Amino acid sequence: MSRRAMGAVAGAVVVGAALLVGVRMSMNESGATGAATGTSAFSAQTAWGEPNLTGVWRASPLGAGSGRDTFNLAKLEGLYTPEAHTRMNGLSANDDPTMRCTPPAFPRAAMLGHPIQIIQRPGFAFVFTEAYPVFRIVPTTGRPHTSAQYLFPTHLGDSTARWEGDTLVVDVISFNGEGWLAGPQDRPTNGSTGVWLTSDAMHIVERWRRVDANTLEYQARVEDPKTLTMPWDTPTVVFKRQTVDRIEEVMCRPEDGPATYLARLGS
Amino acid sequence: MSVRKLSVLAMLACSGLAVLALVVAIGASRASAQIRTYTPPKTAKPGADWTERIEEILPPGVESRAEATARVAAYKPDPVKYPVPRTPWDGKPDFSGVYWPDATITPPPVPLESLYRPEAREYRERGGAAAGLIDWRGIDTPNYHCWPPSPVNGSMGGTVQLVSAPGYLLLLNEGGSNFRIIPIVGENAPRPSASRNPSYQGSSIGHWEGDTLVVEVTNFNGKPWLGNAQPPNRLPQTTSDALRIVERWSRPDAQVFEHRVVIEDAKMLSAPWTGAADRRGIVPYDTVQESLCFLDPELDARHKEFAAQQAKKSGAVR
Repeated sequence: MSRRAMGAVAGAVVVGAALLVGVRMSMNESGATGAATGTSAFSAQTAWGEPNLTGVWRASPLGAGSGRDTFNLAKLEGLYTPEAHTRMNGLSANDDPTMRCTPPAFPRAAMLGHPIQIIQRPGFAFVFTEAYPVFRIVPTTGRPHTSAQYLFPTHLGDSTARWEGDTLVVDVISFNGEGWLAGPQDRPTNGSTGVWLTSDAMHIVERWRRVDANTLEYQARVEDPKTLTMPWDTPTVVFKRQTVDRIEEVMCRPEDGPATYLARLGS
Repeated sequence: MSVRKLSVLAMLACSGLAVLALVVAIGASRASAQIRTYTPPKTAKPGADWTERIEEILPPGVESRAEATARVAAYKPDPVKYPVPRTPWDGKPDFSGVYWPDATITPPPVPLESLYRPEAREYRERGGAAAGLIDWRGIDTPNYHCWPPSPVNGSMGGTVQLVSAPGYLLLLNEGGSNFRIIPIVGENAPRPSASRNPSYQGSSIGHWEGDTLVVEVTNFNGKPWLGNAQPPNRLPQTTSDALRIVERWSRPDAQVFEHRVVIEDAKMLSAPWTGAADRRGIVPYDTVQESLCFLDPELDARHKEFAAQQAKKSGAVR
């Protein structure tokens, strides 16, 4: 039996056990956030015994846009193949897919400094982004990726996850190769083009860990054998719990232009 | 018929044909350009979790939207044969599943149009708070700007995934990939904070009345339309910032869910309007797929041209 299959079985057993036991939510009466929505967002574990990632979270903006490289991007730049560099030299800021409101995949989505919201149920976590709004469906039972018959390339890829201790390890494949790993403003070296291509061979492993009631850590390893010579590791992104109960709806409309959208998103 | 084929046809039927129908309603001659605004949904994967239980109304082989809609509309919910799924955390109905298509089971008592205030005419001519974006006589509708579907349908598009989670109902649309997060509060619990800013889909707060989830939606931005124009006679059914919607969500059995809205908008309507009772059938797929909406460049160019003409016209009047 493959490791994936075993993971799926183990996950199914955990979920099944939770369902059979019919665990009741322990309501958290104190605190405004989470308690208001009856989710006891502050409790360390969900009713079915997983680390509880539920909540609205936000990290500081990261990148290399203001003279400092806070996202290990100089390293990433050095990992691109010569062929990828050649292609990137022929592109410019206008080719960045976010200019057309295409949502960036994580880890770029984690660099933006805008809120995300996570909601869990047995077997699944859902990640919602406020900037370039879109949802991610993340199975958490360790089940295999979508079978090849139904898998097709997308901007956000196909996720499946398992718990390693208190860390949710998300494996993401099936990207369409259109996304960028960072933005045109990110120029960590004198030779930077501000272009950060990916390919359809990209494979990302993310690690999400709730450190305490107010802190969620995120880290990702990006492999892309068609554009990178070696895997690239992001630094750990520290998300802090927000006091609001929901992310805002900030639709991105291409006809407004990217500058308008960024202004509406606010800082 | 293979599952894959059903899925492709179903998804194409539900979103592609929905858009096509709108286009036809607006002006058939422009259909070819407009339909490209939408990326057709691809495939869904077969059920592995909550959707395995379902096959009856929409089994593989039901391929046309018309047939599926008729089957869902004619269906008699049977909670004995298909017990209502319930969540392990609060015992309330579990809405989780992927659903398609949208069938009307009870029409609205009165047509929405009959309640529009005559004095709203000028506002409606402009396309409401979407003024400047919309030429309702033919070029476009909110759909073509990738805005969420009408709040009359709960902002649900063709294929929709519902997820019950502790304290939430989540709505995930396949077409356009937009979503709603609906917090569910207890009777005496503090209410979650509203969004800071008015929005297309508003701020939702749900509570249970028995097994019915009642959702109040406010804080709209005045841009959604309740219904498209029907040129040359009917203006777009615009909304204002006074829009307030009460939705009732129910799960009569494991095969279907039902949804109905009551809409108030004191600036647009002379009385609250009760919408159609709608029903959708669960399909044996696990999740909706990513299907982002992108603006059609050709339509965008035509729209900008129209906006420029309007600006010139209003400048000339001044």
